[in-house]
Amino acid sequence: MSRALDVAQAALAASGEEGEAVALAERSGLARFAESEVHQPTLIDNVSVTLRVVRDGRAGVATTNRIDAEGLAELARRAAAAADSAPADPDFPGLAPAAAPRATEGFDEATAALGPDDQARLASAAIDAAGDIPVYGFFTSGDSELAVVSSTGISVDQRMTDAMALVIAADDGRSGYAEQTSWRLADVDPAAVGREAAEKAARTEAAVTIEPGHYRAVLEPYAFAELLESFAFDSFGALGVLEERGFLAGRLGERVFDEKISIADDALDAQGLPKAFDFEGTPKQRVPLIAGGEACGVVWDRATAARADGDSESTGHAPPPEERDFGPLPTALSVAGGEAASVEELAELVGDGIYITRLHYLGVVHPREGVITGMTRDGTFRIRDGKIAEPLVNLRFTVAVPEMLQEVPGLTRAVSLVNANDFYGARYPRGTLVPAIATTRFNISGAGSAPGI
Amino acid sequence: MRDLCHAAVDAALGAGAQYADARAVVRRNQAVATKNGRVEALTDSESEGIGVRVLVGGSWGFACDRRLSADGARDAALRACTFARAAGGRNNRPLAPVEPRTATYRTPVERDPFEVSLAEKVEHCLRADEALQGPHLVVRQAMVRAQREHKVLVSSEGTDVEQELTECGGGIDCAAVDDGVYQMRSYPSAHVGSSAQGGWEYVEGLGLAAEAPRVAEQAEALLRADVCPSVVTTLVLDADQMALQVHESVGHPTELDRVYGTEASYAGTSFLKAGDLGSLRYGSERMNITADPTTAGGLGTFGFDDEGVPAERQPVVEEGVLTGFLTSRETAARIGAGAGGSMRAESWNRMPLVRMTNLHLEPGEGTLEDLLAEVGDGVYMETNKSWSIDDKRLNFQFGTQIAWEIKDGKLGRMLRDATYTGITPEFWGKLDAVAGPGAWRLYGLTNCGKGQPGQSAHVSHGAAPARFRDVQVGVTA
Repeated sequence: MSRALDVAQAALAASGEEGEAVALAERSGLARFAESEVHQPTLIDNVSVTLRVVRDGRAGVATTNRIDAEGLAELARRAAAAADSAPADPDFPGLAPAAAPRATEGFDEATAALGPDDQARLASAAIDAAGDIPVYGFFTSGDSELAVVSSTGISVDQRMTDAMALVIAADDGRSGYAEQTSWRLADVDPAAVGREAAEKAARTEAAVTIEPGHYRAVLEPYAFAELLESFAFDSFGALGVLEERGFLAGRLGERVFDEKISIADDALDAQGLPKAFDFEGTPKQRVPLIAGGEACGVVWDRATAARADGDSESTGHAPPPEERDFGPLPTALSVAGGEAASVEELAELVGDGIYITRLHYLGVVHPREGVITGMTRDGTFRIRDGKIAEPLVNLRFTVAVPEMLQEVPGLTRAVSLVNANDFYGARYPRGTLVPAIATTRFNISGAGSAPGI
Repeated sequence: MRDLCHAAVDAALGAGAQYADARAVVRRNQAVATKNGRVEALTDSESEGIGVRVLVGGSWGFACDRRLSADGARDAALRACTFARAAGGRNNRPLAPVEPRTATYRTPVERDPFEVSLAEKVEHCLRADEALQGPHLVVRQAMVRAQREHKVLVSSEGTDVEQELTECGGGIDCAAVDDGVYQMRSYPSAHVGSSAQGGWEYVEGLGLAAEAPRVAEQAEALLRADVCPSVVTTLVLDADQMALQVHESVGHPTELDRVYGTEASYAGTSFLKAGDLGSLRYGSERMNITADPTTAGGLGTFGFDDEGVPAERQPVVEEGVLTGFLTSRETAARIGAGAGGSMRAESWNRMPLVRMTNLHLEPGEGTLEDLLAEVGDGVYMETNKSWSIDDKRLNFQFGTQIAWEIKDGKLGRMLRDATYTGITPEFWGKLDAVAGPGAWRLYGLTNCGKGQPGQSAHVSHGAAPARFRDVQVGVTA
């Protein structure tokens, strides 16, 4: 039995009422470096438990990390008091029924065993491999556990590992980026990450600017994943459809993107960071979102499924209790690869355009139209005559994602796992599986500064 | 908590640390949210633990433990030392001197927000929720929140301070949809309203229910409004959007850790260089920015920062010239100026970082109407909707929930989907008026992200409406 499951069971027992307990445990280390030196190494060890008590259709939630008997008794008292403070909710869907989640991968003993000496050593491997150019980034690994138990008979737990190396190689006028993420340390090569970032940086010297306008473009997986994550927040969750906020509202069943685009949320895929169940204990399902360019679904939790007309049901996408107001969201976006063997082949398909390594600080301008702004960084280049050519300064883009995906000359066959976790709050590893993509329309709305620190 | 912190510091020194500090924190949060007449969230959370930061052989190390016990304190200290040794630094990392203080600080509170029952909080939200009415509203929501943080900081240099910081806040939002157009309005601020240090009196003073009819009416009206045109024109921003403008284009770039690159791998760096201090022209002479952790009601108000440096008001930009950075003891020593005072950690399980405290645009003269009166053609924008800025904090693009055309000194037709863009020092150079103290408002936001692992800071900004000439508005896809 895991420590998270122990704690969840003890919390529910302390309550003795209709309810649900969700425990999240974390042991992690993050060796953050700057100017090629580890400067902010952080070790975290925590267990927290959230108890939802239900009294006559009224639900109250309390959370604590005091997991001794006294702390859990206080937790139960506060959750009950919260429930008593709420009016009855006629739309309350009830707690999830017991169901057996599918067995998933996602835990690796070698990754779980990493300690501070290892984390510092692996950070140093990334630093050393970059050579003379200063590097900024981190190596981190974590061992997390999620457990959900309920008075309806749910008793599930999953132990998860994740490891990640991230490097920005940069000095005055140059910068490059790389990252690798996996639930298996063996799939993460910090030295390779350091080399990739340094090699990319070396190609960005003497960047030039370009005029704003619409360009054909190639986006590396880092850039495509970040853009898709931002778009998904409004458009691939049921709440965005129910509240008519997202692009897919009113468009389910319609052809919305190029037929080469197929997107699913697939937390069961071992190429990603697998999850067996959500924060209500409902088993994860693979959910097709876009199939051959047609909008075919969004992800659901119990609350949104109850609000919808018809026969919608939870797809296993309930967020953590404290984030329920965002509604259910994809946590494992997966885009099908295409036919291109490489990004160079995508550049040939584009012919004349721009090449984008990654993005920075995205903001949703118009959620309903899927308009997003942000900056390119750490490796933006011109594409000329089908070849990746001179480096460009960082560029501001303002892009309607649906327009960008309307005409897609190609995608790479290979997909990459891009981290989607900034490690706020409790650790819950998440990633996006995407290929590189070519598009005929990417709107550059301004030019920024040269690459580099 | 104090004894545990001393024990942690002693354990760290015993394990070879040349410097150590320990923070024990007990934090409690309550949040109530309603949506469309039903309770959406009703949570009461607590978290506690101890975080120990050490310098060993020139390397920092940080470790934490949720257990507020002798074992937890000692284990955190020893693991922090282990990580610091493994990190293997090559710098000495001198720290700017701070006089060790033994002191306490407590937020003044009239009505303790944790003495206000959850039932009253629910009722407060439902009243505001109910007051948001309109035929096309698909979302009506209200929220209130409260937080108390009790913390003790002890350092190996003799600092021993205990603080209790209490804050609360609230807000309302609504969204209207018609014929494929989606529009939203918020009060007093977007992104979960506004918060302040203090008691429940702050939430009551917001008047959420009283403001709701105006907010709903504007959301409805936006459905029929024209799209903001794409043009270079005079731009007037309300105090709320100015607070965001200060945050993104002055607050973050003046964080000295960003200037030195130590945030490069996540939040980014800065267009400023250490040598710019005292000479760089940041904006026009109307631009005066002050960092003030002593501001009454500010979310960045404290007696001491998380390095034990006492709160002190400091100019950052004076008459358009950069005169100060936000610093830690380490970065202050590195630049040879300042004394730290901006180090804050999200909680017990995060390392302190250079963060904004309360960063204000100082008021000028007159009223919003006075600012508008001197505009022949322009756009007035209110309430942030979207924001994006580059890693050096130069190229930004912001959007607001609502705007109005300005014609001959008066507000004209309402505009939707308003955006504006600029380059930080050029934009601030176009500032030609800031409204006076009567229009100056304090906004508190709780979602300022930075660091790896990520930390959300609570910071406040005071600002008044301001006017900028020749700004690009109406960015399109």
